Parts: sequence; C-alpha cells; structure tokens
Amino acid sequence: MLGSAPPSLGPTTPPRGQRAPFRRPGSAATAPPSCWGALEPLLPQVRKPAQYVGGEHNQRSTPWEAAETRWLLCYPDTYEVGQPNQGIQILYELLNDRPTALAERAYAPWVDLEELLRAEGLPTFSLETHRPLWAFDVFGVTLPHELGHTNLLNLLDLGGVAHRSAQRGADDPLVLVGGHAAFNPEPLAPFVDAAVMGDGEEVTLEIDDVVRRHKAEREPGGSLASAPDDEVRHALLRALAAVEGVYVPAFYAPRYSDDGRLTRTVPTEGGIPALVPKRTVQDLEQWAYPRKQLVPMTETVHERFSVEIFRGCTRGCRFCQAGMITRPVRERRPETVQRLVEEGVADTGFNEVGLLSLSSADHSAIAPIARELADTYEGTTTSLSLPSTRVDAFNVTLSNELARNGRRTGLTFAPEAGSERLRAVINKMVSEADLLRTAEVAFSEGWRHIKLYFMVGLPTETDEDVAAIAELAIEVYAVARRHGRANKVTISVGGFVPKPHTPFQWAAQDPPEEIRRKLTLIRHAIKDHRGITLRTNDPEEGVIEGLLSRGDRRVAAVVERAWQLGARFDGWHEMPTLELWRRALAETGVDLAWYSYRERDQREALPWDHLDSGLDSDWLWEDWQDAQSDQQLDDCRWSACYDCGVCPGLSLEHDTGYTGGYSLPVLPQGLGSSAAGDGALPTAPERYAGGG
Amino acid sequence: MLQRYRIRWTKVGRTRFISARDLTSVWERALRRADLPIAYSEGFTPHPKVSFPDALPVGVRSTGEYAELTFAAPIEPASDLAALSATLPAGMDITTYLEVPDGAPKLAKMLRVTLWELAWPPVDLTELRELLATRAEELLASTSVEVIRHRPDGDRTIDVRPAVLALAASTRPGTPTRDAHTVLRAVLRNDGPTVRPTDLHAALAPDEVAAPAAVTRCVQGTEVPGGVADALDGEVEPLVPDVDAEAA
Repeated sequence: MLGSAPPSLGPTTPPRGQRAPFRRPGSAATAPPSCWGALEPLLPQVRKPAQYVGGEHNQRSTPWEAAETRWLLCYPDTYEVGQPNQGIQILYELLNDRPTALAERAYAPWVDLEELLRAEGLPTFSLETHRPLWAFDVFGVTLPHELGHTNLLNLLDLGGVAHRSAQRGADDPLVLVGGHAAFNPEPLAPFVDAAVMGDGEEVTLEIDDVVRRHKAEREPGGSLASAPDDEVRHALLRALAAVEGVYVPAFYAPRYSDDGRLTRTVPTEGGIPALVPKRTVQDLEQWAYPRKQLVPMTETVHERFSVEIFRGCTRGCRFCQAGMITRPVRERRPETVQRLVEEGVADTGFNEVGLLSLSSADHSAIAPIARELADTYEGTTTSLSLPSTRVDAFNVTLSNELARNGRRTGLTFAPEAGSERLRAVINKMVSEADLLRTAEVAFSEGWRHIKLYFMVGLPTETDEDVAAIAELAIEVYAVARRHGRANKVTISVGGFVPKPHTPFQWAAQDPPEEIRRKLTLIRHAIKDHRGITLRTNDPEEGVIEGLLSRGDRRVAAVVERAWQLGARFDGWHEMPTLELWRRALAETGVDLAWYSYRERDQREALPWDHLDSGLDSDWLWEDWQDAQSDQQLDDCRWSACYDCGVCPGLSLEHDTGYTGGYSLPVLPQGLGSSAAGDGALPTAPERYAGGG
Repeated sequence: MLQRYRIRWTKVGRTRFISARDLTSVWERALRRADLPIAYSEGFTPHPKVSFPDALPVGVRSTGEYAELTFAAPIEPASDLAALSATLPAGMDITTYLEVPDGAPKLAKMLRVTLWELAWPPVDLTELRELLATRAEELLASTSVEVIRHRPDGDRTIDVRPAVLALAASTRPGTPTRDAHTVLRAVLRNDGPTVRPTDLHAALAPDEVAAPAAVTRCVQGTEVPGGVADALDGEVEPLVPDVDAEAA
C-alpha cells in the first residue's frame, strides 16, 4: 500500500547486561529512549487514550542527566483509578523537590494497550516522558489493597524486568512496595526487593539517600566499582535493610511445623532486625503535601483538591485495618488546612475540595474548619465534601454547612452491622436510636437520600444479626417516607474480609456461598419495600482478597501462577479472574479453605508477626477475646489509654492532636458518635480508588 | 454585564487524545486557574458558559477549533486570554479572539466549511501524490460517491460527494526537522450530513493507499478561491500548503 508508515521505530529494550550506561548518576548517564514516538500511533486503537499521554497541570519532568537517582512511582491499576492517589502525589512532590532526584509515574495499561505493547515490543513506560521502566533505579509501587498483586508482576514483566527478585541484578530497578497491603507482603516476598512499612514521607527520602550513595560507590573509584554483580545487589539490599521501616524479604525465612502451620519468620543473616517497625511521621505540619496536585485531563475516580486533615484513627473498629495500622491520630492545624485548600484550589482550578481522613468529622476542630471553608467559598462554584460516615446528628450539621452551595442530595452512614450486639462485637458504637435520630434530622433538614454501609460475614454473626440489617433499613425508610414520598434509602452490603494487624486477624472468613446466602436473606426481607435499594458486590470478589490478605510466603506461588495464566485487574468486574485463581490454587496445591475459612489460635504464628505495626500482639488478642464476648472499647482520644502499644516512643504531645483552643465537637458519649468510613465496602471504583 | 468572546484555538500534540467529554472540565479548570470571570448557567449544577460548535474526533489534530466564552464581568482580552492560553495544557493555545457584538450571527453559522488535511509518512512521494490527484479529479467529476461507514451499531452508506467543495494533493517539501511528505487537503461543507476525513480516504483509494498517519482540522470559515477564510479574522488558509508561509 502506498503511504504506509515504515516499520515501527520504537526503541528496543537492551538485553540485561547492557543497561548500565542508562542508569549511571547525573550527566554520566545516557538518557534512555522515549517510547512516545512508537506509542502515539497505537493510541487511536485503544480505549480512553488520554490516560496514557501525560501532560497534566503540575506534572514534573526533570532531564534524565540532571538526576542522580530516578524513581518510577506506580499505582498498579488504571490511571483512572490511580491518578488521585494521595500517597503517590506526596512522594512525587517530595522526590522531585530534591535537586538530586527525579520521579515519574506509571499506571497499568488496560489489556487492549498491553496487547499492542507486547506485539510491538514496547515496555511499561512513565507517563511524563514515556521512558521505560527498566531504566529507572527504583520502581516504587503503592499497594492500597491486595488486588493489584498480579498487575505488579505484569508491569515488571512488561517493563523488561525479571518478576522474581532473585533474578534481578545490579543493573535492574529496585522493586519497593508500600501502602496498607504492604503490611503483609509475604504473598509478594519472592517478587519485591523491599516493603516499606508505614508513613512514607521520611523513609522515602532516607531510601533515596541510600540509593544515591550506593550508585556513587559503583562509579569509578568507588568501593563497588569493580565488584561482581551479586555482591553489588547484596550490598544495596543490606543498606536498605538498615533503614528503619524497610523489610527485605530475602533476608528472612519462614519456619513451619509438621502440620503446615507457621511457627515463626526469622532473619537469615546477622545484623538483620528480627522485628521491622513501621514508620510514623509525628508532626503532619512538617509535611504539608501534596501542594501542587496533579490535574487530570481525562476522567478519574476523584477529581478534586484533597487535603488530608488528619492521619490515623483510634475509634477502634475491629474490622478496620486502616484504623489499626495508621495510629496514632495526628491532626493538621485548621489554619494549615485552610491555607492548603485556598492555595490548591487557585493553583489547580478544581471545583471540589475533599477533606480526607479515616473519619473526617472527628477532627477536633472540624466545626471551625468547615465553617471557614464554607464562608470562603459561599456563593462560588467551589463545592466541599467530607467523606465521613459517622452516624450522628453532628455529621448532618457539618454536611449542611458544606452543602451551602449545592443540593442536599445524599448522606452516607456506616453502621456496618445490623444488630446492637454485633456492633458491640466490631466495636462500632452506634445505637439504633442514634441512627434513627440521625435519619430524622437528615430528612427533616431536606436531605433526600441516605446510604447505609453494612458488612456480612462478621465474626459471631447469626442469621438474626443479618436479618437486623434489613430491619434497620426498613425503619430508616419509614423515617424517610414521613418526610417525603420520593425519599430513598440505599443499603450497600459487602462481605467481610479479615485483615492483618487487626483484632479480627484470627477470624474465619465466610466462604462466598455463605455470603451469598446471607445477602439473599436481606434481599428477601426488603422485597416489599420498593424505596429501599440493596447494593451488593459479587461475593466471589472477596475470595482473592482474603487469600492475599492473610496468605504466607507459600501463597506467592499462586500469585505467580495466576498471573502466568492471565490474571490481572483482579478488582475489576470486567475481568473475571477467579477461575484463573482457582486453577492456580489447584496447580500449586495451596488450600484456600485452610488459609481463609479457618479460625486461627493464639499459638499459631502469623505471616506478619515480624512486621510491627506498633500494636501489641497481646492487646490485639485481648481485643479479639473482648469482641467475642460483645465487649466494647472506647476511643482513646476521649477516654483513658488502654495500652494498644502504639504511642510509647513517640513524642506524646502529638498523640491527641491539635489542642490549640478549639473544643471537641463530639457529642456526649452515648448520644451517638461513631464511624470510620474506611472499612466500608461500596462500589468498585470507590473501593479500589484507595489512598483516601 | 455579560461579555462574549469567540476564540480560535488549537488541539495538537498530546491534547489531541482528550475526548470531547473531558474537554469541558479541562476548560473550566483552566478558566479558574486564570481567575477569569466566566459566566455560569443557572440551576443546581451550574456549568461554565463555554460552548463548542462541534466535536472533534479523538486523535485528530486541529488548528481550527472554535469556542464561545461568556464572561460575567468585563475582561482585558489581550492579556486575560493570553493568560488563559498559557494555563491550558500544552498543545491547546488560543490563536485568535473576537468580541461578539449583540445580534451577531451564531458561531456555528459562521463556520460554513472546514479545511481538512490528511498527511502520509515520507514515502512513495510522487506515486502517492499522482494517484491521489487522479482520484480527486475523478471524485470531483462525479455526481455521487458512496462509501460504507462501519460502526458498532451497523454499517451505513453515505454519499461523500455533496460535501466536497475542493480537493488538492500535494507534496510538502522537507525541512531540517521534517521529511517531505504527501498531503491531501479538502474543503468540506459543514451543513448537510457529516463527512469525516476517514470517509474521504474510503472514497478516494481505500485499497491502494494506507490510512493517513495524521489528520488535521486546519481552519473553519468560508470558502474563498484557493482556500478557506477563517471565520474570525478572515485569514486565508490555502488549499495547497503555502510552504514559505509555514516556514515563516
């Protein structure tokens, strides 16, 4: 055909052994070729091509030769889901603000583009300059949940990097993971070089120092200039393991008893810590990031300027991993929140502001924060949102304040369980009276729609507890109807998945058939109430998540096999991968029921016992025992310390947050204060957006 | 006091992949960053008053996009629209503006024709230009040229001929940064059934010539001898690329 383009001029991936020139520090490096020229002609053939082009407002791109260390930060899902992630944006800004470092970002290409990339021999690329993954020093991946594990392996493989850590050498990127799911990295142990525990701000800069010094030693005249490949890699991993909060799985080995139970995980080399502590940033005021937030040019799951108003949560919901592993509570000052919002809205042009945290209505100065912001933006087209699911009238008042510019449409609350007894088990201190009173206030003040989040499959749950979800929904709907015939109630019910570092880490997970049966009970009970909508996830979805949440190192074989069989995007309805996982389980001989559906006892070691979230394991066990006898535990922000173990060693004046003159806006105890929106299990995009 | 401006803008480079659906928020955020007093529609979900006459297919370049912006307060057009242009994503630039007097005809009415450019890679220069020129002459000599447009919801037959006002194949000579390559420019009417550049390729030589590597909407306005005059400032874009002008 006339006018056909010459064969692809795409850059070729140099074989391993020939990549060193691209990786040298600063001006000694050869800049790797950009994939853009070869990628651009492919884009008209794929869905949503704008997600691959970059060019966002506030994007940074440093010349390759101007940096000594080069990071590729990755959210292992699509751009649409990953772009708003705050963790990535914080580290992106911190690293790029360093004169010696550059950081770009990568997301998982959807399957249509992956197919074309593989056909053309093109690698995983960065969004900013479309440089190949294999040329970077560090591939830093955030794991907000477990359903990105196969994408991580796939991105490495597509990026020209061996997916097994042991097969990577001195001139391959370091593969680091962080985020909530990195608190049990064992199912990824053979694939990652290190897992970083806890808050990333300080430790990322320390890791960057380690990598920069290591690279300098490899230059002519350095102590590693002529060292053999395996020695160089070993030296780097040793240096990383010496950074507090960094866990290098290669330096640990699990020990099992004859019946297959884990007895302990132990260091295999001298000088390696037996227990890796998480990192905690003590003063959020010193880390007021991200300031220059990235503004997408195409649709994402959260398009707003987000400010984290505090980190951590001490409500003590026993199912909630986020609340347990991010303790203690550290607040940002109201004036800092106000400043970040005003500067950020002007800089980005976003018309929505999100005040983020695990339970935003719990900030000790939330009332003045909300009032100031509502005053600032009254009469403008800037809207404010507070993702909080606290069940009390104060939350309605706050929402009224924030909705001054807009309609009072929907409010969301998370009672999580249907019966008073089961709410005591999960330590969600909301009474039925609280909820009904809150609904009364909300509907009488003009809100039209209430969404309620629940879970089934919680420990000690009976069919009466399940039926209570429907009963509660029916009662709330009766309140709704009194205030308007068009008012609606939606209940969103997810299957509970036990998570590491929580009091429920020992609990048995319900198999999907049992979850399905319980959902049917609810569906049947509400069928005559047309104004109540029931939203559920496919019960099968919790199967992979459950296996990976509490799996040990033996589960890694399943991850690898599932990926080889084609599993990726495991969190997407469009990608039904469960059958591939079941095949992988069968082929590797891993027993799903043994990992997920079995209650563990106190003597059995857990795969994350050597990773220290700060929580005392005896306290967790006691809290698990309390749960099973319906014993509640107060929030330590407003009652006595119960020695969960987190605070000793930290600077205590920050533990209970900012106390600069504002009174606590919580209601008197018993009148209803509760929540923590984190464990809620809503729709897929909400659920997998993560990173709140 | 509302103030209306019509602008011509570009959508090239990475921004050619932004969909029409996403463009609204891209403009709204840029207007907010530039702190310009754009007017908003009434209602519960107010939208900025930025209107686009028609959508450009995703992936197509353009130097001939237009929009009408309504401001709630007077602006300094030269400096304010330059600031807006600067904060738009790279590849989107405002190139012309015109204040709209009351009673002016609708923008869409002023965009009577479009000058499209189809470009091929720097191969088969002579053969390709000659084939396209021959086919162009044949098309212009016909009264009807039907092509089948394949769509997910079924095939559709459309007659390309009525929309075509002018066609010219030429070779754009090489420059230090770009090799010589073949271009086909076409003037298409904007009224009547829409004819896309892909339809034009299908009508001319679908089997002998590869799909064009780049398609550009160059300008929209009125047909003049030898080209199209821009709807806002009347500047003429020629049917055969003016190499000297481009170099300048």
